[in-house]
Order: sequence, then structure tokens, then C-alpha cells
Amino acid sequence: MSEKKGSRKKSIIIVTTAVIVIIIGSVLGWYLMTAPTAPRVIKIGYSAPFTGPAAEFGTNGWRGISIALEEINARGVYIKGERYTVEVIRYDDRCEPTEGVAAVKKLILEDKVISILGSHCSSVCMAIAPLCDEHKVPGITIECAADAVTSPGHEYYFRMRPSMGLIAPLITPVIIDRLKPSKIGFLAINDDYGRSFVESFKKNFGEYGVSTVIEEYFERGATDFYPYLTAIKAAKPDIVFYVGVTPEGALILKQAKELGLIPEIKFIGSEEMGEYELVSLAGKEMVAGTYAISLWAPKPEIRELASKVKEKFNAPMHYAIVFGYDALHVLVKAIETTQSLDPAAIKDALKKLEYEGLQGHIKFETFEYGGKLFINQGRYAPYLIMWTEAGEKELIGPS
Amino acid sequence: MANYKVVRSLPTIIILIILITLPLYASSYVVFVVAIALLYAMVAAGYDVLLGYTGQLSFCQGAFYGIGAYLSAILTVNYGWSFWLAMPTSVLFVGLVSAIIGYPALRLRGAYFAVTTFFLAHFVYLLFLNEVTLTGGPLGFRGIRPPESIGPLSFESMENGYLLILFSFIFIYILLRKFVNSNVGLILKSIEQDDILADSIGINTAAYKLLSFVISATVAGFAGTMFAHFFRLLHPTTFSWFLSEMVVIITLVGGVGTLIGPVLGAGIVTFILEFLRFAPEIRYIGWAIALIAILMFEPKGLIGLIKRVGRRWKYA
Amino acid sequence: MIDTLVLTQLLNGAILGLIYGLMAIGLTMIWSVTDLPDFSQGGIYIISAYVAYWTITLLNAPYFLALLIGALAGILLSVSFERVVYNRLRPSGVLSCLLAAIALFFLLENIANALWTPKAKIMSVPETEVTLNLFGIVTSYHRIIIFITSVILFIFIHLFIKYTKIGMAIRAVAEDREIAALMGIDTSKVYIATWAFGGALTSVAAILISPLYAVWPGMGTLPLLKALVVVILGGFGSIIGALVGGLILGLIETFGAIYVSAAYQHGFAFIILLLTLSLRPRGLFGRR
Repeated sequence: MSEKKGSRKKSIIIVTTAVIVIIIGSVLGWYLMTAPTAPRVIKIGYSAPFTGPAAEFGTNGWRGISIALEEINARGVYIKGERYTVEVIRYDDRCEPTEGVAAVKKLILEDKVISILGSHCSSVCMAIAPLCDEHKVPGITIECAADAVTSPGHEYYFRMRPSMGLIAPLITPVIIDRLKPSKIGFLAINDDYGRSFVESFKKNFGEYGVSTVIEEYFERGATDFYPYLTAIKAAKPDIVFYVGVTPEGALILKQAKELGLIPEIKFIGSEEMGEYELVSLAGKEMVAGTYAISLWAPKPEIRELASKVKEKFNAPMHYAIVFGYDALHVLVKAIETTQSLDPAAIKDALKKLEYEGLQGHIKFETFEYGGKLFINQGRYAPYLIMWTEAGEKELIGPS
Repeated sequence: MANYKVVRSLPTIIILIILITLPLYASSYVVFVVAIALLYAMVAAGYDVLLGYTGQLSFCQGAFYGIGAYLSAILTVNYGWSFWLAMPTSVLFVGLVSAIIGYPALRLRGAYFAVTTFFLAHFVYLLFLNEVTLTGGPLGFRGIRPPESIGPLSFESMENGYLLILFSFIFIYILLRKFVNSNVGLILKSIEQDDILADSIGINTAAYKLLSFVISATVAGFAGTMFAHFFRLLHPTTFSWFLSEMVVIITLVGGVGTLIGPVLGAGIVTFILEFLRFAPEIRYIGWAIALIAILMFEPKGLIGLIKRVGRRWKYA
Repeated sequence: MIDTLVLTQLLNGAILGLIYGLMAIGLTMIWSVTDLPDFSQGGIYIISAYVAYWTITLLNAPYFLALLIGALAGILLSVSFERVVYNRLRPSGVLSCLLAAIALFFLLENIANALWTPKAKIMSVPETEVTLNLFGIVTSYHRIIIFITSVILFIFIHLFIKYTKIGMAIRAVAEDREIAALMGIDTSKVYIATWAFGGALTSVAAILISPLYAVWPGMGTLPLLKALVVVILGGFGSIIGALVGGLILGLIETFGAIYVSAAYQHGFAFIILLLTLSLRPRGLFGRR
């Protein structure tokens, strides 16, 4: 009997000791991990999807940021005569809101970053934006497209690229002028990007009297588009907008051609379909004659960046790279302008900032549009491009 | 005799004190992470009743968690219900749904049941994703308010939200403990050992299996409502297959059938994943390797490991 | 005159079904012999497709060589999992093995994500992409190849299981492990053979379908689930069942996606599962 009690007592003592050790160990570990900032280092946080279905966006955003980081640290950031280096700490948010919140809280509270870059998925951006206001740390989103991210907006959260609700009204007249459709259809990825795209364009085309005859959504990673394309063929739209990433785009075009939809029906792709990667995946003949909405015109600086990306990462160009690159440069410019590391001062500098980025003229404005209030939102105009037989982009408009 | 009981509960008391006072000394990052871990622990403990005490492997905890979350959100935001009315309603609804699904499903043996729950979870996820008018789909469900204040006690702040979750967790855990230690719990254990034998003695195994399924689903649904009003933004990706997977892993890593095991498991898993946050690409690979190693060397989970160490010590 | 579109979809549905069937045969063999629904086959599906992709793009190898090498990778992975992981966990029960299988699936998926990036890759086989127009049905060489290869494999496996020594040993162990061991059959050899088969079939299924679809880290989850449904629909342990069940699922999915709902197209498998389990739990050709 006493033996049993004794061994029980022993295991209780072991458990108690283990618990205490674990607790002390974690507390120590916590403190060691969040080491104080070395002098003259500017810490910036980056939350993005590096795993999961949206991982290519985070990976590409990081490529853009790394290249910008190299350039910036090569010349140094001078605040009040002292030279500083920039450090970017990145965490994975898996394109999932609770992960994004944990990542950003850790960046702000434990790593003590003075600004946040991120994220890529609208769902995460919507969860992060209130945190920037709460902790008074400015954040620049890399590429979330849903209107709701900056409308109603947050004082401390900024977006460079125009949201869907702003792109659609600018590009719709260009499309109507060129292609004169009476009926349109959509084949979009079933995520926040795809849904906002369809919502905005459907509404804008509707204002011009063009009706949407079919609206299909597919899951990320879908590879069999025959059922959707068959339904689209039956609905006979003049234009089909296809929204997704380049592999899906390539498969859609391939399968659409097989089913005979191209060239009678004009295919207009979302942003990623304006990347050269589409040509390399689907082939020049498949892509020729199709259109895409691009957020920037083919400029020499972008080609330069593309060759740097090829050299450094052996990867194709992607718009997230441009966004990441611009985002870091914009942030550093704001820091240099205000000559201070105070997050609130940086926020004020961002509000007044104007910068000629690779994507276009970057300026954060607060305005009302379509009955919604947008805060800290960029407004440069998008482009419509067409793929030529030679696999090059031809700018259709606006000029 | 009296101080033996005190010694025995020492680790628990220490941990409880730490958790209750957490908002006082820890950053809101830690509070947030612990709150989410507590929700996982709640779901896992409920799940353990199903897995550990009746031996049924299921993968649809995420679905029930999500249904509880979305329903409570819809009732409070779209119909203006008070949280204190919406929450029990959602929990009851989840219980009902699980009973309806469980009744035919539990007639299936082991792996068939597991596969069915697999599909069920995916199907519910598709519902969350596609029924945009109801759930907001990929654009998310926003604007959920915290639970209405009770007198001077407001749940607006994250700290108070955290405390609400903590006390809910303690409450649920005590209920589950009592259930598992009761006569009913004993019967469940006998079903886990050998359900054919239990059947032959005259125990209505089907009814008891259904009971444990409904209990685990209800706990998950309750945790879901807590999540909805704490995080205040719902998105289908939060309730994907990944969540159900995590719950199963947590329960296993902690120690199936011990109720406290999954709770510890939730803590350990959360800690490891947060710790590995600085290495984004290898985070989940390292985690999966650790998991396989744990399964291979100590299939009984953390609790099994502790017991084993305790036994070694005794005979050292 | 039947609409050519319907005929095209009939062909496509059948081809899809054959792929499900191939994977289901592997799963049903493993399950009936070792009691384990091997979820790690989902991970093997992914890795073997990528190995084939690498073979084609890095070594410029012809498609059939890639198929072989990919299948070899699948066999290697499958057998090593058995020897290293499942063997050790077997005494702890099927539950532990199942969880290890899931963990391995998770691991392989994340390895694919890290090695090849999450963006989908297109496996381009220009020689077989040629579109054919047979009596108005639009198809391609590749689909014909899938069709022929699958049928040949089915016949081969059926004969193998029925007439060879190993085949009979496998059937014996599937029937009753203890008695088979008492009769002198080396169960561990049978296990290895079974797992080799499973790995090979899963890989072949993955590589056959890849040029039509795409190769990406998440490509294994749905095929695994569908294959499991086919196993249950066709009947536990039945190869004919896997073939017939696969065809049924493939056709229902293809036509359902067009005529009912494309968004819920993966839900048809679920409905089939529910119907099977409630109306005829032992499946079409199951014995128990």
C-alpha cells in the first residue's frame, strides 16, 4: 500500500517539476528570442502566406522585398545624420486570418517592429488593419484586392494598388470601346480576389447595359474546367473574364480552345494573366489574341527587375514581386522623409507621400466613391493589354 | 490524507494561477495565442470523449466548430439576437445536427466512419465557401460584436474576452471530467475496450456512441461560438480540413483517453508552432517530422510519456 | 443521333473513373491485407507526379520513362513507410498506424511545397497532346493512352492476383492473416508486395492524369478521398469492384458537374458514399 502511495507521490513531484521547468524554460526562451534591437537597425515586419494554397504570393512578395532591401541597405538609410540598416522579419500567415493576427501581434509586441508590410489575402488584411490602429503602427498591404480592406478604412493601414471597386470603373469603358460586348461571363477562382473581381465588374458592366449571363466559380487547384467551359459555351457570352493564377489560366485557355470557345469568345484575364509566365505555360499560339488586365504598363524598370529576379531566384516575374519591391521603398521613403523612427510620424509621412513606383504613381488618398468611403487608398489607373502572336504585350488603353 | 490531495493538484493550481493572471504581465500577442490554444483544447477535450472513451476516429470537429461559429454570428449580426441567446441556440443546433448525422453514421465501423466524417468536414467547408449570401463566403463575415456586457463586466477588450474563454474552458472541462468519471463514462470505456462484448452484455452501444458523438460535437460548437465573438471575423479557411487535422493531432500527441492529455497537447502544439514561426517554409515540415517521431516512440502521447518516466523513476 | 458532347463527356468520365479505379485497387489491397486505410498514398500520389515532372523537364526523358521512374519512386516510398513506420506501430493498433499515415501524407505534401513551390506546374507532353476528332468526339492521344494503359493494367493485376503464387498469397492473407501464417506464408513478404503494388498503382494513376491537369502540392487530397469512396462502393478487397466503382464515380462526377453543379462537383463522391453505406454497406462486389 505505502509503495503505491510513494510511487504516486513521486510521479506527482515529477510532473510538478516538469511543469515548472517548462514554464521557466519558455519564459527564458521568449526573452532570448525577442532580443533587444541592435542600435541603428530599423525593424520592419512582414506577414504573408508562405505555406498553403496562396504560398506563391508570399514567396514572390518576399522576393521583391529582398531585392529592395539589398538596394536600400547598400546605400543606407540616414536619419539625423546616422546611418541605419533595415531588417525585415517575416512570418507565415497561411492566408488565414487567425494566423495573420498572431503573426502581426508577435511582430509588433515581441519583435518591436516600427511598421508592418502585409498581407496578400484580403481576409488576412481585414483582420490585420484594426491591429495597426490599435497598436498605432502603420501597415502597408501588399496586394489585397477587396474593397473592404480600405473601406471603411483605418487610419494606420495603407494600400498602394487600387481595389477591385476602383479598377473596374476605370477599365470597363476601355473594354466596351474595344470589344463592344452585349453579354459577358465570368470564370473565377472562389476566393476573396475572385469574388470581388466578379462583383465589381458585373456591377460596372451592368451600368453600361451589358448583362452577365454566366458566373462560375472554381476551387483553388482545380484543373478540370471542362464542365464550366461547357456551361459557358451554352450561355454564349461575347466576353469571358477568367480569374485565377497562371497555371489555371493556361489550363483554361487550353481547354477552352479544345472545346472551340476561342476565338469566337474573347477571353480577358485577371492580373496574373498579364504575366509572361502565362505565355511560357500555355504557349504563344494559345495566348495570342487574348487580353488581360494589368496594373502597370511594360516599363524598362520592370524588365530590369525581372532580370534581377531571374538571376537571383531563377524564378519568373510576378506582380507580387513588384508590389513587395515598391512597398518597402515607399516605407523607407516615408521614414527618410520624416527623419524619425516614431510609428505615428511614419504614418503621417505616408499620408502625405507621393512616389513613382514601378506599378505607377503611388499616393494614398482618402475619398468617397460609389457610396463608399476609402481611406489611405491608391488610385492609379490599370491597363488593358492584349497578347500578340509574338508573345508580347500590346497596350490597348487607357493611354 | 488531506495534504496528499493538495500535492496532487499542485501543478494544476500553478497553471491555473498563471493562466488567470496572464493578461496582467503578458503582451496581447501571448494572450491571443493562449486564447486560441484554449479553444483548441476545448475542442480536443470534447473530441477525446469520442476518440478516447469510445474509440471512434472522426475528422469533422472543424465542421461543428464552424457551424457553431457561423450560426452564432448570423443570429447576432443579421437578426440582432443577443449573444447570450444566440450562443445556446447555436450549441443546441449543433447538437441536433450531430445527432441527426450521427445516428446513421455511427452504425459504421471504424475506418468507414472516419472516411465519412472526412467527407462531411469537406462538404460543410464547401457550404461555408459557396453559400455566400449566408456566410459571406471568401469575402468573410465581418462585424461580429463581442458578447453583451453582464452588468459592469464588458467583453469588449481582448483581455476580458480571453478570460471569458478561459473560464468557459474550465467549466466545460470540469463537466467533461465529471461525465467521464461517472457510471456513464465507465460504460463508454467498456465500449472502447470491446464493443462487441459490451453489446452482448446488453449495453446499447449504439446509443452510447451517439451520446459521445453528440457531446464532442456540442463542445466543438460551443467553442466555435466563443471563437466567433472573440475574433469577430469568420472566413472559411479558418474552418478547413487543417483545423480538424490539428484537433486529431493534438488529442493524439497529448494522450488519448485521458482528457487532460489533449489539453496539454493543445498547449504543446501551439507552443511549438509559434516557436517555429521564424522559419516559415520548414515550419510545417519540422512539425510533421516531430509528430511522426512522437507517434513512433510514444504512441500513448505526452501523458504516456510522463507515466513512463514516472514508472522508470520508481524502479530506478 | 446522340449529342457528341455527351459522348465526349462519357469518354472523359470513363477515363477519370479508370484513374480512380487504379488508385482504389492499390488502396483496397493494402486495406484488406493490412487493415490500414493508407492515407499516405495521397502523399505518394503527389511526390511520384513531381518525380515524373522532374524526369521530363530536367532529364528531357520521354513520358513512358518518366512513368516508370515515378512508379519506382512510389514503390520505394510505400515500402519504406511500411518497413520503417507502420511495422513499428502495428502492435499499438490500427489507430496509431492510421495517424502515422495521415502525418506522412501531411509531411509529403509540405515537402512538395518546399521543394517545388506551391504554384502548379504543367506537365507538358507535346507528342500526346495532339487533338483527335473521332466521329465528332474531341479527344487527344493522351486520353487514349490513359484508357489503354489502365485497361492493360487491370487485366494484368487481375491475372496476377488470380494465378501467380504471390497473388494467391496476398489473397490468402487478405482472407485470414492468422491461418495464412499457420499455413507457412511469410506475411511480412506479402506485406511488402502489397505495399509495393499500392505505391505503384497510386503513382501510375497520378502520372497518367497529370498531363491533363496540373501538378501541385495539394493535388493528393481529393483523389485519395475519391479512391476511398471507390473502395467502399466497389466492395472491400474486390478488384473488379474497384474498377466498376471507379467508372461509376467518374461518370457521375463528370455528368453531375455539367448538368447539376460544378461548384459542388466533389460532393457527388460524398453522396455516393452515403448511399452505399446506407443501402449496401458491403459495396457492389464485397464479400462481407
